[in-house]
Amino acid sequence: MSLSARMIVVLTVVGLISGSLLAVVGLLTKERIEMNRQQEIQTAINEVIPSTKTSHKIYEDETLTVYESLDENKNNVGFAVYTSGTGFQDIITLMYGVDPSVSKIKNLTILDQKETPGLGAKITDEKSFLRFWEGRNCEKPLSLRKPAVDSPEKLDPSEVNAITGATISSEKVLEIVNLSLQRLKQIKQGGKLSSEEKNAT
Amino acid sequence: MPPKKSIGAEYLKGLWDENPVFRQLLGMCPTLAVTNAVINGIAMGLATAFVLILSSLVVSSIKKLIPNQVRIATFIVIIASFVTIADRFLAAFFPPISKALGPYVPLIVVNCIILGRQEAFSSKNSVGRSLIDAFGMSTGFILALLILSSIREILGSGTFLGFQVMGSWFKPWVIMVLPAGAFITLGVLLGIAILIESKTKTRST
Amino acid sequence: MDILTVFVAAILVNNFVLYYFLGICPFLGVSKKIDSAFSMGMAVTFVMTLTAVASWMINHWILIPFGLDYLQIVSFILVIASLVQLVEMFIRKMSPPLYQALGIYLPLITTNCAIMGLALLAALKNYNFIKTVVFGVGSGLGFTLAIVLMAGIREQLDLADVPKPLKGAGIALIVAGIMALAFSGFSGMIK
Repeated sequence: MSLSARMIVVLTVVGLISGSLLAVVGLLTKERIEMNRQQEIQTAINEVIPSTKTSHKIYEDETLTVYESLDENKNNVGFAVYTSGTGFQDIITLMYGVDPSVSKIKNLTILDQKETPGLGAKITDEKSFLRFWEGRNCEKPLSLRKPAVDSPEKLDPSEVNAITGATISSEKVLEIVNLSLQRLKQIKQGGKLSSEEKNAT
Repeated sequence: MPPKKSIGAEYLKGLWDENPVFRQLLGMCPTLAVTNAVINGIAMGLATAFVLILSSLVVSSIKKLIPNQVRIATFIVIIASFVTIADRFLAAFFPPISKALGPYVPLIVVNCIILGRQEAFSSKNSVGRSLIDAFGMSTGFILALLILSSIREILGSGTFLGFQVMGSWFKPWVIMVLPAGAFITLGVLLGIAILIESKTKTRST
Repeated sequence: MDILTVFVAAILVNNFVLYYFLGICPFLGVSKKIDSAFSMGMAVTFVMTLTAVASWMINHWILIPFGLDYLQIVSFILVIASLVQLVEMFIRKMSPPLYQALGIYLPLITTNCAIMGLALLAALKNYNFIKTVVFGVGSGLGFTLAIVLMAGIREQLDLADVPKPLKGAGIALIVAGIMALAFSGFSGMIK
């Protein structure tokens, strides 16, 4: 066999073997990876809207994904919003829940962040930053309370605590939430969040 | 060709004399990037070892069939296949680790250690010897990651593998888990490695 | 996130070398002289821009539509390898002076993790076409900035009294650490 023929044969054979091997591996792991992803979302929805029994995706665009959450009697108990934006260092991905009328926040959870450890990374801390989000009024944009206070009564209805020493990270989270809230209200006004009518027909 | 080493020496050279990180300065990107926590360092070390050992096995088995002109391309395809397998496996069975390591798992494909060993060793040596070499280099790499990540996690978070090891008096040195800490720690470790090397040399001569 | 954000972030905030630790080998290897560091930076920027375009097309026109995402790593690395080869041949034919300046750096680029990192990160961040290209150019310029600054410091370091065991890579890494610290001052500046 001439050299160039051998080169082509070897490369083709190696390519075919590796291609088919990867196809098998891809097939075998695909389901499981997809399942992991869904499970992550599911856990997050249950975290931000604890009364959730079942949930389904109701709206999706470039900036956010909205899940409708239902309790055991199939009543809408709120919407879970999955969104992301730029933080202090890199992208922050988070999810929060709101009540069906989009007037009160239920809970917030940070899914992915690369903020400064020990400072900005406290946005994931249940005991400080995430503590008093429940029940915040979100009819108007949320604002930041600095310095942080130790009980929800001391906050204005639409205020949340800032992290001491990491104001920018706190601001960034708030920005991401406010921006998506604004978008959510538009979507709601456009009638795209009402599955009731669909169910009725 | 230099005289053949004993099997033991072939393995041990990867630990110190030819340690990929401290002596050859190879694979620096993952070494710096994933060593902010010991668990990430170990996962990265094992994933790299998996790819290196299997690539060495395949390359040394088929080395006679590969024409010289396309050897690099062939090596790359083989390495990339094993990297994909490692990446998928982590994503399927260890999602938190896969998430923490992010793009650095796929980046094993451009880790110079792996291509370097195929080019310098596996394509010229028997299957057995290549495997021993790959095991040695992997051990050396894991060792380096372990040292670096232990220092960074203990000083930077006060924990080891997630368990608190420093007393409550200890204020974590945040800089150690930041990129700057990675560079500085590795720089100092390289200096220490050279210092030890020069000390042992002067003693033996 | 608009295009300017992506660009500035790629150069300063999430600098490829100092934040993502990509391209450390050339960063340590080719940073002894400012001239050669600049040429290397330009070569990397050039290849990065092309890689951004090519990897986006492969990802969005072939891999995603046909559900072949498990071939991503293999196809990206092959694209980069052939791209570098093509660029080398093209430059040699079209512009011998440019080839003289960049030629020796091109083969080194294939195994430069910064290029592969760019393709993977752009796919991971789900950028659209324009953002991917901007990300490519910005990342290349960020790499150039880091390596040229490094070369400037190392030219001075040659004259300094560095402890013997730290000479070379050791002190270079420590300097890189201090640079990373300085660059972290850019964090949070982007809106």
